Amino acid sequence: MTDKPWQDLIAVDELEKDWVTRVELGRRIIAVYDTTTGLYASLALCTHGGADLCDGYFDEHVIECPLHQGAFDVRDGKPIAAPATRPMRVLDVRVRDGQVQVRI
Amino acid sequence: MAHRTVTPLTQALEEGKLTRDELKSLMQRSDGPAFRHLALWVVVLTGTTTLITLAGNSWLIWPAMMLHGIVLVHHFSLQHECVHYTVFRTRKLNNLVGQLCGLIIVLPHRFFRYEHCDHHTYTQLPGKDPELIPMPKTYGEYLFYLSSIPYWQAKFSELGRHAMGRLSEAEKHFVPREEHAAVFREARVMLAIYALIFAGMAITGWWGLIWYWVLPLFLGEPVMRFIRMTEHVGRPTVAQMSENTRTNLVSAPWRFLCWNMNYHAEHHYVPLVPYHTLPRLHEKLADHVHVEPRGYLGAHLDMLRQIREARA
Repeated sequence: MTDKPWQDLIAVDELEKDWVTRVELGRRIIAVYDTTTGLYASLALCTHGGADLCDGYFDEHVIECPLHQGAFDVRDGKPIAAPATRPMRVLDVRVRDGQVQVRI
Repeated sequence: MAHRTVTPLTQALEEGKLTRDELKSLMQRSDGPAFRHLALWVVVLTGTTTLITLAGNSWLIWPAMMLHGIVLVHHFSLQHECVHYTVFRTRKLNNLVGQLCGLIIVLPHRFFRYEHCDHHTYTQLPGKDPELIPMPKTYGEYLFYLSSIPYWQAKFSELGRHAMGRLSEAEKHFVPREEHAAVFREARVMLAIYALIFAGMAITGWWGLIWYWVLPLFLGEPVMRFIRMTEHVGRPTVAQMSENTRTNLVSAPWRFLCWNMNYHAEHHYVPLVPYHTLPRLHEKLADHVHVEPRGYLGAHLDMLRQIREARA
């Protein structure tokens, strides 16, 4: 259990349906994924080449990098397609009072 | 935390050249266009194969093999699209078809993926872009490159090096350490398959693949070199995507063969866009990229002009 506080990120209504939404939290860029099994969030920069995953292709639970097409499972951050080899950092996410919150 | 790389796509979105909705629509993947394209591809390959058979022992076998070779070397274009996972909906099918294409044209798919990544990151930057074709300084250099001799020298030494478990210093930059073994294995498997094919021909005494595959491949490769040169050679060696890449407007048969990769600048802007929506992306970005309206020939006239002016 982490004791880091939950932080408001974005209203649920503002999320792109079945797609990835880019949100800035301080100096960090967070990717929020709307999927059939719920919301997931991760740091937005690809662990391979540093491109912004929010501009990538999103399908089911897989986000694909716009630069080299490395891909990650947004549920656990696991790399699932080359050239991505290192996992991306996923964040705890929840919805409270219509707001998406993350713990970072 | 990863260092942020600003991609041309991110720039295009920030500058309003594309909206996110347009991007989403352009990126959607589907197997339909690829299966239709492949069906016609098989018809064309069957046609050129038949021409070789009909030519028999006459001198006509050479133009027939040349024609067949031009189609064969365009498996590069299909493999290239598969590297980007954009031909088919699933990565599995893209990988399978990409590997088959790689076998046909002697280009290991996994290694090509890593090499191609750095080509997209450092497009046209000397010393960093592993696929950079230097601008020829003389007509002799120009013709030598078109002969495909330097290309095959590089490819065969690359394959041998990897099969022996070695990477060059430049390759170590773009192949992650945890993937070295996979790249070596891929080269060994590829060589083993070729050895089996040749052993099979020797045992059966049927050497048809020399006429239907090997010779046409070598005869056709200069055409692929001619086309590959038009993508970047002669454009400025700078990071700006609007400058360093050339889109060539070519006729429908060439677009079919190259899987729309003549829209090369658009492809570099958004590598996630499948080949079949590149013409739509071209309509959006045509004013923001360098377009050669005279096609492949125009691009080469531009290169030859630059050689002439540099020598004057």
